[in-house]
Amino acid sequence: MMKNFTIGQYYPVKSPIHSLDPRTKITCVFIFIIALFLAYDYYSYANTIIFSLIMIVLSRVPLKTILKALKPIIIFVLITALIHAFLTPGTEVWRWGVLKVTKEGLNQAVFTACRLILLIGVSSLLTLTTTPISLTDGMESILGPFKRIGLPAHELAMMMTIALRFIPTLLEETDKIMKAQVSRGADFISGNLIKKSKALVPLLVPLFISAFKRAEELALAMEARGYHGGEGRTRMRVLRMKSADWISLGLVSAFLVYMGFYRWFM
Amino acid sequence: MMKFEIKDTVKISIMAALSFLIMLIEFPLPFMPPFLKLDFSEIPALLIAFSMGPLGAVMVELIKNLLHLLKTTSAGIGELANFIVGAFLVVPVGLVYKWNKTKKGAYIALAVGIVSMTVFSSIFNYLVLLPLYAKVLGFPTDAVVAISGEMNSMIVDIKTLIAFGIAPFNFIKAIIISLIVAVIYKRLSPILHR
Repeated sequence: MMKNFTIGQYYPVKSPIHSLDPRTKITCVFIFIIALFLAYDYYSYANTIIFSLIMIVLSRVPLKTILKALKPIIIFVLITALIHAFLTPGTEVWRWGVLKVTKEGLNQAVFTACRLILLIGVSSLLTLTTTPISLTDGMESILGPFKRIGLPAHELAMMMTIALRFIPTLLEETDKIMKAQVSRGADFISGNLIKKSKALVPLLVPLFISAFKRAEELALAMEARGYHGGEGRTRMRVLRMKSADWISLGLVSAFLVYMGFYRWFM
Repeated sequence: MMKFEIKDTVKISIMAALSFLIMLIEFPLPFMPPFLKLDFSEIPALLIAFSMGPLGAVMVELIKNLLHLLKTTSAGIGELANFIVGAFLVVPVGLVYKWNKTKKGAYIALAVGIVSMTVFSSIFNYLVLLPLYAKVLGFPTDAVVAISGEMNSMIVDIKTLIAFGIAPFNFIKAIIISLIVAVIYKRLSPILHR
């Protein structure tokens, strides 16, 4: 079925970006996205492009891999750009029948395409350079302060971790059950919507039963080993901010300030 | 505020993993805008809504979308939409069933869930989602209408997009999911309540 399936898209190399703290990377991506939304002309978009290219070079992730991550949105970007090119009112530069392209429309098309590509590209860079597990650790730590208002940060991270661990197992299980049912004559591919939905039942029932059994076993194993939630728990990987983290945060914040300054004062 | 037993934590996690996998299998419906894809990923959350209550079901939806965020193609808006629309279905089901735990109660719960998902997700699309798409991704609502109009000529503006596109889509999706759950829940309930 889904061979070579990966959750996330981690690209394993050693690079200054890979070795940053996940909290730094998550925060930096957020700050960069805000800065990206402040861009409004060719000069400021050029700045954001250069800044992202520097990040990509530092991450040692090949440009080809990042372009592959952008592939699912390419058609969406093209349609969006075309709509802006044709539908923005302004000075006309080219006309074909009722369709006309305006100067403002062309600018708008370039800007929107840039924004979308950078938005998805930079967030892909985050998942390309950080493993899902360390992203989860980072999320738990960032959400930590919200525990006071009742947000279950630790439980959330624990659930993410367990889910991540069980996705490959369950995928294998699904494959096995599918093959077993196909060998008994089940048909998952042909037929209309109702037939397809009906075909799901003999797949789902054994799948859920085995999933619940696994859940029971794991809960028992955790209880037996004295798992008791977040308070006072030690961990194998302790997150520590290093000087490189503070420098990166400083650089991205400086970039945001610069973009804000350019937008409103220049 | 939220404290789950270990058993429940693990159940929620594994159901979320399953629902993430089910979410990857999606197919378009005829006569519907192409960006609306049918998937059955609410089934595990509904099972949890019946066996554990609305809070657990919301957690399943949340974890599923956090996992999906790792491979988002819409800067998280698609995941936000899926989470909220999913919650519109599973929360009422969990609440109604909690109040009346009979077979009749389960059917009423599913009916309420179907209505809630159809009505609230239409309102949510109109007020929040379509404007958010236009603002953040620069994809104007007019263009969404134009693309949807290609598939279904009754869609001419944002109101008809919701009336003839989004609302029937969510209605059909909720009914199909509820039917599947109604069929499989009976066979699963012994193991769910062990």
